[in-house]
Amino acid sequence: MYIFTISKEGRYKELKKDTQHQTCLKKDYKRTTVLMSIPGAALYTFFFTVPVCLGVYYSFTDWNSIARSNNFVGLQNYINALTDKRFLKAFLFNFRYTIFYVAGILILATVIAMLLNQRVKGSTTFRALYFLPALFSSVTVSMIFNQIFFRVIPAFGDAMGIAALHKSLLSSKDTAIFGILFVALWGALPMQSILILAGLQTIPHELLEAARIDGANRWKVFRYITIPHLIPTLSVVLVLAVKGGLMVFDQIKILTDGGPNNATRSLSILIYNDAFKNNRFASAMAEAIIVGVVVAVISYIQLQISNKKSVNA
Amino acid sequence: MSKKKLHKILVYALLVIGLLTIILPLYITFITSFKSTSETITNYLSLPKKWYTGNFTYILSKKGFWRALLNTAVITAVVAAGDVLLMPMLGYSVGRRMNESKKWRAFYFYLLIGIFIPFQVKMIPLVQMMSALKMMSPVGLAILCIGSTTCEATFLYTGYLAGIPRDLEEAASIDGSSTFYTYRRIIFPLMQPIIATSVIKDCLWTWNDFTLPLIILNRSPQYWTIVLYQYNFQSEAGVDYGLVFACLCISMIPILVIYLFLQKQIMSGLTSGAVKG
Repeated sequence: MYIFTISKEGRYKELKKDTQHQTCLKKDYKRTTVLMSIPGAALYTFFFTVPVCLGVYYSFTDWNSIARSNNFVGLQNYINALTDKRFLKAFLFNFRYTIFYVAGILILATVIAMLLNQRVKGSTTFRALYFLPALFSSVTVSMIFNQIFFRVIPAFGDAMGIAALHKSLLSSKDTAIFGILFVALWGALPMQSILILAGLQTIPHELLEAARIDGANRWKVFRYITIPHLIPTLSVVLVLAVKGGLMVFDQIKILTDGGPNNATRSLSILIYNDAFKNNRFASAMAEAIIVGVVVAVISYIQLQISNKKSVNA
Repeated sequence: MSKKKLHKILVYALLVIGLLTIILPLYITFITSFKSTSETITNYLSLPKKWYTGNFTYILSKKGFWRALLNTAVITAVVAAGDVLLMPMLGYSVGRRMNESKKWRAFYFYLLIGIFIPFQVKMIPLVQMMSALKMMSPVGLAILCIGSTTCEATFLYTGYLAGIPRDLEEAASIDGSSTFYTYRRIIFPLMQPIIATSVIKDCLWTWNDFTLPLIILNRSPQYWTIVLYQYNFQSEAGVDYGLVFACLCISMIPILVIYLFLQKQIMSGLTSGAVKG
């Protein structure tokens, strides 16, 4: 509406002319914005909305890759998934994994960001080097650690005479999750720390100075100034971390592929195997949609909560 | 005074521990790739006794490697070009019109839903669609990738545009500029920082992505990206760890070189958008 209120009072003739010109402009504005959004919106609709709708439809059928026909089976796939022990076990794994992962990201990334924010010599070099892992593919990172876990650490343990290191973290049912966590955190922390570092740098310097002059110790400054100012950044980091934890795929695919003895079979691995190895498309879709709903609901709740708590918003 | 010094020492100590955690795996990758097969078995942490370049020449002599590199470069370039061309236009239209009408506001939310829906939900139908359309190729993947960047691009661009006052557009339109001309000559240049952010992110993601290439391109080796090449190379190389590490090393080099030159832009580019949002 803003373009159309520019004429000054008392210049009737010009005003009329302007109005005509403006209607023309308004038309052009409306038409152009529609035309400009078509290509992007079409790609999005075609590669996101259409497959999601198709997926929802298929989840109500008995579609698999062998039989060409598909019959409507109602909620059967969902009931099967929810009563499937494999599915529940995978859910449990992801739940455990996500708790560790989110805690690891929030705590370690904040610590790293605060360290990088200290004004010490060489801090720019440290920042540049700390960022390195963010550049590499999760596959590259996982493959590097795969070799390190299976060869370098056991050999190191043998040389030092530490028996505990002899066996790879990944080959035991109970410890494999921590191996995966370590690799995932190694790859994800740099990006998240730099995000938090950017958040730290938006805190007004006078505020910190004033608090120190008033006699607040480091902990109090951190608790009552740093944290409240970081909430918007932390909430972004948290949402991304929860989604990342619930959907972890690449690292597990490379490191254990769900093993040993299916102990690290995450939801994504289960869905992938059901879809492309067992050819149970319809069941895989139902599983994926259940997970999708859970992730969407959790993200939505998180954003609502953090929007309320933020100081700057 | 001594407390301050102690604090400084503690900061340095922690920073160095972190740095070692980051550098050590990369160091092992680097040195192992220069070791011959027999040396990789006996010697893990120290520098190679003799710098052996056979691993690198073996990989560099493979046609498949160059093909994968080319595929990845083509995909990334197409994604970058498509993103620069299409997404700012969409972001501009949505960012401006969503404050004027409810329909556009609903459209804006429609474009953002994708952020909340995990990839697995659309994975299986996507494969079916792509194979029905004969798009299981690098170019098909690139188009798919452009579509997949819409949500984040819309989010970043509309956020950025909210901070650009409308005065310039008003002035331009009074002077008789059409909307598209205004976009091309005024808005697009003003949006450059956020466009850089978005494109750097998308390029890095496309270059490093594993899941999409795995489901779309893994069937035919001629279509492999560099990540898929690594993934499949592991079984080809078997127990020859020097070879595996050399393959990883080579694939890291292009990104490292780019990072070396554009370090500041990449780091600030990757962070600026997310914090504002």
